[in-house]
Amino acid sequence: MDLIKPNTHIDFVEKMKKAFLISLGLILIGIISLIYHKGPNWGVEFVGGTEVHIKFTKDIRSDEIRSTLSSSGYSAESVQQLGLPKDNEYLIRFSPKVVAFEQIQDFQGKLAGIFNSVVGEGGANILRIDYIGPKVGKELIEKAIISIILGWVGILLYLMIRFKFEFALGAVIALIHDVLITLGAISITDKEFTLTIVAALLTVIGYSVNDTIIIFDRIRENLKKVTKISFRQLVNESVNQTLSRTILTVITVFLVLLALFFLGGSVIHDFAFALIVGVVTGTYSSIFIAGAFVIYWRYKRGVLT
Amino acid sequence: MRRASRGWIIVILVALLLSIIFLTPTFLGDKLPGWWGKVFPQKGLRLGLDLRGGIYLLLGVRAEKAIEHELSNMKELMNEELANEKVLPKSFQNSDKTLTISFFSKSDLEKAAKLESNYKEITDIRENDLSLSFTLKDQYIKELQRRAIDQVKETIDNRINEFGVVEPSIQRAGADRILIQVPGATESDRERIINIIRRAAVLEFKIVKDSGPTQETLLAKYNVTTPEELLSQALRLHPNDPSDIKSENEKFFITESDAQVTGQYLSDARLRFDEYGRPAVGFSFRGEGASKFGKLTGDNIGNRLAIVLDGTIKSAPVIQERISSQGRITGNFTLDEAKDLALVLRSGALPVPVDVEQEQTVGPSLGSDSIEKGKLSIIVGGIAVVLFMIVFYRLQGMIANIALALNMLFIMGFLSSFGVTLTLPGIAGLVLTMGMAVDGNIIIFERIKEELRVGKSPFAAIDAGYERSLWTVLDANITTLLTALILFWFGTGPIKGFAVTLSIGIVSTIFSNVVVARIITYLIYGERKVEALSI
Repeated sequence: MDLIKPNTHIDFVEKMKKAFLISLGLILIGIISLIYHKGPNWGVEFVGGTEVHIKFTKDIRSDEIRSTLSSSGYSAESVQQLGLPKDNEYLIRFSPKVVAFEQIQDFQGKLAGIFNSVVGEGGANILRIDYIGPKVGKELIEKAIISIILGWVGILLYLMIRFKFEFALGAVIALIHDVLITLGAISITDKEFTLTIVAALLTVIGYSVNDTIIIFDRIRENLKKVTKISFRQLVNESVNQTLSRTILTVITVFLVLLALFFLGGSVIHDFAFALIVGVVTGTYSSIFIAGAFVIYWRYKRGVLT
Repeated sequence: MRRASRGWIIVILVALLLSIIFLTPTFLGDKLPGWWGKVFPQKGLRLGLDLRGGIYLLLGVRAEKAIEHELSNMKELMNEELANEKVLPKSFQNSDKTLTISFFSKSDLEKAAKLESNYKEITDIRENDLSLSFTLKDQYIKELQRRAIDQVKETIDNRINEFGVVEPSIQRAGADRILIQVPGATESDRERIINIIRRAAVLEFKIVKDSGPTQETLLAKYNVTTPEELLSQALRLHPNDPSDIKSENEKFFITESDAQVTGQYLSDARLRFDEYGRPAVGFSFRGEGASKFGKLTGDNIGNRLAIVLDGTIKSAPVIQERISSQGRITGNFTLDEAKDLALVLRSGALPVPVDVEQEQTVGPSLGSDSIEKGKLSIIVGGIAVVLFMIVFYRLQGMIANIALALNMLFIMGFLSSFGVTLTLPGIAGLVLTMGMAVDGNIIIFERIKEELRVGKSPFAAIDAGYERSLWTVLDANITTLLTALILFWFGTGPIKGFAVTLSIGIVSTIFSNVVVARIITYLIYGERKVEALSI
């Protein structure tokens, strides 16, 4: 079965300008959201404090959780829904000023009782408690940023060995694009930025580049053939020739990610979400951004025929 | 390689056999036959804390405190050595990593200069006017800190093992951290475990000099304003244990500054009961400890003996008679508290303090729930991928599916044979690998289709498809491996689990894509003449 008919000729290069504007728009929306939310909604592992993962047996809204807590003297720093709404699972974060390490035991004992009035006796189950000291958090933020940059640089270096410089750079620009859009999506949906999300971003970097490699490989192969077409046309041909595998490979990953998103449970939910956004964006940018950059680069340097 | 190479077939079969052997314990669990353990490994996949439930603790060791201790030890030793030379030093001063001795006269300084040879190995010595300063060498400081951290780890090791939990893991993490994982620990164990681990457990026996209702009144009596100033009078202020205050006048005690007997001389400490049947801690001395304790009590009959634990007075009984071998710490202990205190005293004091930098307590229900959901996602994701491949590539899709099944077996087999811990993100990594693993097959199959379109014969198309796609498949996997390795460096705990499954998955996937699937193709078509490929 063929997903894309052989001899498909879609003029992708012509659409690249439009795509560029769309990407720019999406990234801008993400940035505006980040500014509006005052940066990423850092998870407890980055900012320090105490975080409780709690499951309610009854439906409860996050503002109910907030007001119940603050009337008991434990005002929460953030209340975050985890997983699907029907799970009724929440991550509640407290600043170290509200719940210091020494008070956790005491606090844990009181916590379930606090919600008795709202969800009934035994209606709130504490699944997990995390405490992170301030020192660890700072180190982790640094390490997270370094590892993302290292991901980009590592791939740039590897592709520089395998391809010409402008191809390597084009691929990495596409990856930066993917990470920015994924970050924006996380910010817009107001999901917590946790270690797991960093893991998802790095995976997006490593995986999204695959589609770009498929296309670049074909461009290189076609360049070796003697043809009379321009580089711009050649890129377009290559994208068309590899279109079915670029999309098919993503579909299989997309399928398993959907399974994780809907069935994987609350802890994996956000991770799967970030990967879905990143992987889909990655395919889009492989088709529209990476090649476009190489064309632009060659055009600027006058090597474009 | 038109025919399936025998070498590769053997490699695949051996890998398959090993994977099955290593995975059998995971799937059969307790139902393993008795002889199995004698011949084959018995341990299955290890589950991480996030899947089993338990406590995860990251301790920061305050190794810099080791310097302070070393300097005060040096001061004591030098004091003795100077006394032997009949030199009375004017003052000692320690700051940062330097100990400075001032003298009254030049001749004293000259006599003291003999000390230099004893300390020149570990310190840089400078002579000023009427003083000598000893600065610890950086190399020695490193050595001190390393030793302190090792000792902390060993002590905590002993404490946790004595507490009696199953399969605790205590590891060094980075330069000055210790990572402790106690699987299966419940929330009610949490407080006890944390207290056992963190307790410095410095036990001192000192003679009481005075007591009073507030710190201020006591200090005023000695004409000082801060507790530190008492030290020049060889005295020290200790608060009394709040739960043990018997009279208003005993909220604070003043004792000798230095303890003649400390917990390091203990030969044993056990749970005991006092005359009212309340839990207490009985301790005993042997050898040098016994003679020191005997001397301390014998010399001070009628005085009060302060039992100081981590700077707080636990009790201060009046010494009735000379005691050398046995004693008892009483107080308002619960049974568990007394048991735990005896345990930490037996295992010795922590040489430097520790801070809890990170803690996670995972309840058991979260773990089992996660495992169920993980299994479900593997099954559903797997079925989706398998169906997709059959619909799109028919017989070749089936081949890819067989290769995928083998691939998953290899990955899991590898994970259990190397004792890698499976975490929740690790399971997600397995699910993700299923989706990524067929990518290579798709790249190759699409290429084969193209080759067929330009009129190549089926076998020529297969060969060309595999050979021309090799580097594309390699490149695609190497980049993902690269980021997985970065993640391994960056991640802690569960995230590391994800990085590990992903990395192993990628390596196994390359093998499955470019070797296993191709071999199966050749085995299926054999030497037959093939008119058209089912692709």
